[in-house]
Amino acid sequence: MSGRLFIQTLRWQRVRLIAVVLAGIGWGMLIPVFYGAFSGVMRDLANSGAIPRELMSFGSGSLFTLPGAITLGLQHPLAIAMLGVFAVGSSATAIAGERARGTLEVLLARPISRVTLYVSVLAAVLLAVLIVLAAILGGMMGGSALQGLTDELDLGQVPLVVLNGFGLWAAFTTFGLAMSVSFDRPGPAIGLSLAWLLIHYFLEILGSLWADAAWTQAYSLFHHFNPGEILTGGLDPLDLVIVCAAATVPLIYALLVFPKRDLAAPA
Amino acid sequence: MEGTPPAPVISIRALTKHYGSVEALTDLTLEVNQGEIYGFLGPNGAGKSTAIRTLLGYLHATRGTASVLGMDIATESVEIRRLTGYLPGGIALYDSLSGEQVLDYLVDMQGRQPHRRAELCERLELPTSVLKRKVRDYSRGMRQKIGVVQALQHDPELAILDEPTEGLDPLMQHAFYSILDDLRREGRTVFFSSHVLSEVERLCDRVAIIRAGRLMAIHDVGELLARRRRRVTVRWRGAAPDPASLPGLEDVQVDGNRIIGMLSGEVAGFVRSIASPNLDDLIIEPASLEEAFLEYYASEEPGQ
Repeated sequence: MSGRLFIQTLRWQRVRLIAVVLAGIGWGMLIPVFYGAFSGVMRDLANSGAIPRELMSFGSGSLFTLPGAITLGLQHPLAIAMLGVFAVGSSATAIAGERARGTLEVLLARPISRVTLYVSVLAAVLLAVLIVLAAILGGMMGGSALQGLTDELDLGQVPLVVLNGFGLWAAFTTFGLAMSVSFDRPGPAIGLSLAWLLIHYFLEILGSLWADAAWTQAYSLFHHFNPGEILTGGLDPLDLVIVCAAATVPLIYALLVFPKRDLAAPA
Repeated sequence: MEGTPPAPVISIRALTKHYGSVEALTDLTLEVNQGEIYGFLGPNGAGKSTAIRTLLGYLHATRGTASVLGMDIATESVEIRRLTGYLPGGIALYDSLSGEQVLDYLVDMQGRQPHRRAELCERLELPTSVLKRKVRDYSRGMRQKIGVVQALQHDPELAILDEPTEGLDPLMQHAFYSILDDLRREGRTVFFSSHVLSEVERLCDRVAIIRAGRLMAIHDVGELLARRRRRVTVRWRGAAPDPASLPGLEDVQVDGNRIIGMLSGEVAGFVRSIASPNLDDLIIEPASLEEAFLEYYASEEPGQ
């Protein structure tokens, strides 16, 4: 890995990273507030039967419990967007963007192999993803403490939440970077990476809202990261295996394809 | 071993690059020696950049082999780039960085000290005030100057420059030529592509001419210039002699007492043949390399 390239890649991201981290902390802190304010109302509504219970959940989360609310907070489109900024946006544009701008020419004129380039960029983007995930979770823990709700959580399990969540978002990051090394323009790389994320998101949400389609959730990577379950019981090792496998396959693809690609002169 | 000539800095053997059925480069074979300024000449789309990009590992050869600084391009590309300075054609830089930050970043990535930076910036008129400005505010010429500095700042053993004077004004072109002259004096090797014939004539020891992906010829520039035809105008007092009696004169036009033609071969013999008291005027115009080049292309087809 090239330390200089790793640092420079993080420098390119620093403004948006600061903005997203602040937004992530804010969003995370709101989740326990929402839970404190609305869980009773939601429970009453569910018990009254006025609204089907499925419609009161979102993905694998709900506002009925604090761990459920944390799952909901991490599966909410806002959290997806914040993490997707780096896992999809930064990864998909990292190399295809340099290629389209022509700066990859200058970079690869240095004594750096394409594998080193890929690994350095991947490490920087993964660190950004980890920081955002930690910011959201940190906000959630901080918000829970401020609301006096920490006794509803097994805080010892938080590292496992980070581990599983990082595995999930690493899978989208490596996919985005695999697309980035495959195309000369960022457009197709972003499009395919975004489509990959949205398909998984759709399968997870569809299965949670429609009982007959519950089977689709098993095919969604999002279904293999349930912080609520981890915080109340434990981590299913299979979930970790699945997200790690999903992260590894695009990584291997990129390591095989990128060094063999012909990089013709930019148009 | 005593008497053995040094290994060439660049050695290319039957290098071929095809994109499907498109032959971008076919059987290119050439050698560039230590201390040479070697021109790689050809029109746009001839395959110059393809050859350079293959040497530096951006492209993978379909067949053939090449070595740079004694290292194989297929297996030792990283080490080759450590010792080489490369200026890509139409260079793109990081717009959000200042010129100085770009140079710092690239030399850090090179892993060598920027020994030549100060001197290059001075000669190319890149003062600190300019280097502190963002690249996005630079003109095309200023970007090209930064491109030249980034390629040479670490004092590479070999410089590979793809159309290096593109975008430079005439003053800066001359500054660049003098930088290359100095590199030659220091025994550095420069391989550069161009379609500007005058700069090849001005700078190069040897030139390879490439067209449609095929090597047309390799010339010593001095020899090529000596071999070229010259435009000759001779005027007599009274009637002009029979043009057939003038050795080496071709494409002759007779206009009254004046004969205009292209002279190939030895000048001295021609001058002796026209020496006469009736000779009124003689103009021998040195054909430029451009004319020699165009003649070459007019008479040769690739593969012939």
